[in-house]
Amino acid sequence: MSRQEPLVWIVENVGSGPGSRETLVCAQLLGSDPRLARLDEDRLGPYSPGVFAKALGALIASGSRERKSRSTVVLLPHTYQVAEFAPRLALLLGAAYIPSISGVHRDGEGGLRFRRSILQARLEAEVRPRARTIVATVQSGAFSSDETPAPPRQVVEVCLPADMEPRPEREILGREAASAGGVDLAGAERIVTAGRGVGGADQVSVAADLAAALDAELGASRPVVDNGWLPREHQVGSSGHLVAPKLYVALGVSGSIQHLMGMSGSRVIVAVNTDPEAPIFSLAHYGIVGDLHDVAPALTGLLNERAGR
Amino acid sequence: MRIGVCIKQVPDTDAHPRIADSGDHIDDDDLSWVISSCDLCALEEALLLVEAVEEEEGGIDRPELVVFSLGPARVEEALRKALALGVDRAVHLEDAAFRGGDAMADGRALAAAVDREGCDLVLAGAQSDDLGQAATPAVIAGTLGRPYAWLVIAVELDAASRSVRAVRELEGGMNEVLRLELPAVLAVQAGINKPRFASLRGTLQARRKPLEKVDCAMLGVEPGQVGKAGARIETMAVRVPPTGGGGLRIAGDAAEAAAELLAHLEREALL
Ligand SMILES: Cc1cc2nc3c(=O)[nH]c(=O)nc-3n(C[C@H](O)[C@H](O)[C@H](O)COP(=O)(O)OP(=O)(O)OC[C@H]3O[C@@H](n4cnc5c(N)ncnc54)[C@H](O)[C@@H]3O)c2cc1C
Repeated sequence: MSRQEPLVWIVENVGSGPGSRETLVCAQLLGSDPRLARLDEDRLGPYSPGVFAKALGALIASGSRERKSRSTVVLLPHTYQVAEFAPRLALLLGAAYIPSISGVHRDGEGGLRFRRSILQARLEAEVRPRARTIVATVQSGAFSSDETPAPPRQVVEVCLPADMEPRPEREILGREAASAGGVDLAGAERIVTAGRGVGGADQVSVAADLAAALDAELGASRPVVDNGWLPREHQVGSSGHLVAPKLYVALGVSGSIQHLMGMSGSRVIVAVNTDPEAPIFSLAHYGIVGDLHDVAPALTGLLNERAGR
Repeated sequence: MRIGVCIKQVPDTDAHPRIADSGDHIDDDDLSWVISSCDLCALEEALLLVEAVEEEEGGIDRPELVVFSLGPARVEEALRKALALGVDRAVHLEDAAFRGGDAMADGRALAAAVDREGCDLVLAGAQSDDLGQAATPAVIAGTLGRPYAWLVIAVELDAASRSVRAVRELEGGMNEVLRLELPAVLAVQAGINKPRFASLRGTLQARRKPLEKVDCAMLGVEPGQVGKAGARIETMAVRVPPTGGGGLRIAGDAAEAAAELLAHLEREALL
């Protein structure tokens, strides 16, 4: 790269899940020799967004002062914890905040352009930062590489700045398991999932009937659960069950990243959706563009005929 | 006690947005606008908190409920809807200088507005249905130096100790229970409640409830800090994502498509 490379930080949150490999792959698209900043509760005390943002912000700011002439890019994995404190980090640094990026490239003048989904993944936007410091979170699954990227040579443990009160802004009273359920989705061989496209509580039966005919478990997207059409234990996705059945049939599911995170490992994915541009189709092995209220009963009818029911 | 709720008006996501000829934004014409779904949950939660106090203490220390929204004239409709649901009054951040802001710029302006009203608790949606950046409430909290929690799925107000108990979603099927001292900012996740519909009576009453318009000068914010001037990001292009990479598209009417799909599944030994 002929232009001056930015100073790239990748941030690892010790004990808070995966993602550092993807941020590293992304970092290598931006420049060489990224630095790794490690956030560790053993050092920083219990997590709270203000404490983590301030401690990390102090480190990044001092790094940028060292290299006055360069821009700085901070990359974090888009986890719930990061999504909570990263906007605050950007605010402290006066940085451009670009959450859940799925791509990055340079424009004609060498400036950085980031890609991210908008409007529930119906469209994607290309975003240009207008600040010297950029805080970006990396969408899960967006960056992959066949080669294992070389680990960063510089690793810095994030510490509390001397002038900072270590008092967290909020008190953790405890942790609890979200409602457990009797639905065996994780172990299911076949799943039929009702998305918001089924249209209402009284219409979930089209999906349930097909599930019964296929001898499958019944799944649901989050809005179906949030609307009370099915209980929480049916939910598939990043905040529900993570499933990998042999057959996954998505009825009226658009294919948001949070839903895909829960089921993209399924062996064969079937999607039925009226919208030919629904993102779920790019993942589906078999796609039917059509009304689920026609297609699902047709499938159920044929299956029941075969079974002599 | 005063509770503020920040709402965003967004294009109805069921409608298919058209990309403008310039290629860098969505065509505003013939869009229908709605309150973003998590923000509706934030409004509902605030109404429930107020009702809980009313039941407990006979309405003596009933918190006042104020709704805030930043945007052009069309936003007034969203604010009227919030008033119809039971909110006491509305503040509309309307100024040419607010145009073209990002979450940093809008969050700063909203922070000034909730601060001006002295809100003890601010609720907002966890992320908007349009840009989904999940950043504006965090910027409000950060600007005002207030405790913050994102992805909140339960709230209890303890007026006596001036604190809230909030449950926050974690990954992997766990939740975290938190106590935050007021003033605080909470970003609520969809599913925390089922938003009510406005009654006819509410809609009629909403017309007479106060709706104040505020601009930069009234909020004491520098025009250079908000809107396009204060934004740290700029959208250069929007497009329909490539839907390639998918497998087989099965055509035909429902019966034909169903038969063909089953033949494929049979061949793959999935039935
Ligand atoms: C932190 C966080 C965690 C989340 N966790 C999850 C999660 O675990 N699981 C999850 O699913 N979501 C989750 N979400 C929500 C996610 O972002 C999406 O909003 C959600 O997945 C959309 O669900 P959907 O596809 O059913 O609905 P929509 O996106 O509304 O899609 C409905 C689809 O149905 C189609 N349709 C409509 N009518 C018909 C018809 N008659 N026939 C056929 N098709 C039709 C439409 O074309 C559309 O594509 C989470 C969000 C956040 C912010």
